[in-house]
Amino acid sequence: MKDVEVIVTRSLAAAAADRYQVNWRTDVKGVTTGWCVLDDKDELVAVARALTELSARLSTITAYGAEKAKQTGKFEIAYHFDLDGDTLTVTVHIPVEGEIDSMTPYFANADWPEREMAELYGIRLRGHPHPERLFIDESLGEAVFDQYIPYSTMVNAATTKGLWEKVLAKGKEQVAK
Amino acid sequence: MSTYKIPVGPLHVALEEPMFFKVEVEGETVVGLDITAGHAHRGIEYLVAKRNIHQNIVLTERICSLCSNSHPFSYCMALERIAGIVVPERVEYLRVVADEIKRIASHLFNVAITAHLVGFDSLFMHVMEIREIMQDTKESIFGNRMDLGANCIGGVRYDLDAEGRGYLLAQLDKLKAPLAEVRALYETNGSFLRRTKGVGVLPRAEAIRLGLVGPVARASGVDYDVRRKAPYVVYDKLSFDVQTLPDGDVWSRTMIRLREAIESIRIIEQCMRDMPEGPTTIDKTPEIPAGESIAKSEAPRGELIYYLRTDGSDKPERLKWRVPSYNNWKGLQVMLTGAKVADIALVVGSIDPCISCTER
Repeated sequence: MKDVEVIVTRSLAAAAADRYQVNWRTDVKGVTTGWCVLDDKDELVAVARALTELSARLSTITAYGAEKAKQTGKFEIAYHFDLDGDTLTVTVHIPVEGEIDSMTPYFANADWPEREMAELYGIRLRGHPHPERLFIDESLGEAVFDQYIPYSTMVNAATTKGLWEKVLAKGKEQVAK
Repeated sequence: MSTYKIPVGPLHVALEEPMFFKVEVEGETVVGLDITAGHAHRGIEYLVAKRNIHQNIVLTERICSLCSNSHPFSYCMALERIAGIVVPERVEYLRVVADEIKRIASHLFNVAITAHLVGFDSLFMHVMEIREIMQDTKESIFGNRMDLGANCIGGVRYDLDAEGRGYLLAQLDKLKAPLAEVRALYETNGSFLRRTKGVGVLPRAEAIRLGLVGPVARASGVDYDVRRKAPYVVYDKLSFDVQTLPDGDVWSRTMIRLREAIESIRIIEQCMRDMPEGPTTIDKTPEIPAGESIAKSEAPRGELIYYLRTDGSDKPERLKWRVPSYNNWKGLQVMLTGAKVADIALVVGSIDPCISCTER
């Protein structure tokens, strides 16, 4: 077991007792990735606080697609922390109507990724200092990844094959005339 | 004294990419900064979920131009980790070569732009001319000046025979003398030093607090390079020095990039010396099972992280990446506070920002 596993596992146990699962993988170069799932989304704050003490850096946050959320009734959010080269991914589940605590008090750079997941997936944030839009204009609705479709799909040319078939069909019509 | 808000951008702040800054000034001193992003949002993260695993190699290469190779490279590593694919050793060397060639070209571009932003246009043109050696090299080896198309799952799509290796080494030799010459210039030229020393300072503690990465963080004394901290391909076998400087100003960021370009030459030369013979791809069609993985690499602007989850189908269930620029924008709020209006473009340029990357 690598040091990072021991230290992080100890911190997780202190922060979330037995309400988490974690497993570790180490590749041939000796780089470790840890995969932790928290039973309760509200444990996240305690875990974040514990990770700041380990000088973790928040690499990024991944929110899961709206389509999947519709099926399961839950969003999945994965927080990726860098621990001096090794990576710990902490995953929480939140109900579609639920809220998630902002990580900004512990990781200043959570600001942008949190605003982005709010505008793309409609995830509600609790305690974010300025939860306005990041990239998507105010004139567009909430949860754009759920609502909007690519222009190419809209004009029914989602793939070049589809487009080509339309062109061929048009060509045949013209020959028939 | 009363404060005013002035708009800077969205067009041509430092580069031909759009980012809008609302800058609060007191006299000619910046006291506050608001960043409004979103002008280059293309929804690529949505698109990758609609394309199959192979199409996404092509799509991810088009996220950014200057670090175009880092994207498919990291994405392929993420796929290979899920599938348990071990790539041939020659592939690992060839991937390093492609990535380091891109790094030299990317760093020299920013170093040149910095000269332009301080009004030293003859130096700008001189560095761009030096960079052209790398552009020619890419065109000769990969057939393209920006998008290399070098990666595929389990391998690379190019090879270097004896003639190719000789050509590459000769091109690197051509770079050395002019690079040493401009390095001395950037280190000693009075007018360049006056415009860049002590300008746009980012202290180390702030770089760490804001989670900054890459040359921007290293110029503030943060000793973090993915190639060293989380080695991938053959970086653990190659000898190179991670460049750091303590002052965190525009000058330090420029020098880090210049020094890293010189280190990259060393790295490529070692690859040419040590690269074993062997296949350039795995010999079977890769199958990607359900799984999840993280792949990190040191892109020219710093840590690039890919998170991939697959469900056994031909489309990724979730593909997420975070580019280095995404984190580095935050540094501007610290760097620009107290800066002069005339230095805004210079400081913005010094984080080597990539907006297409940031917004995807």
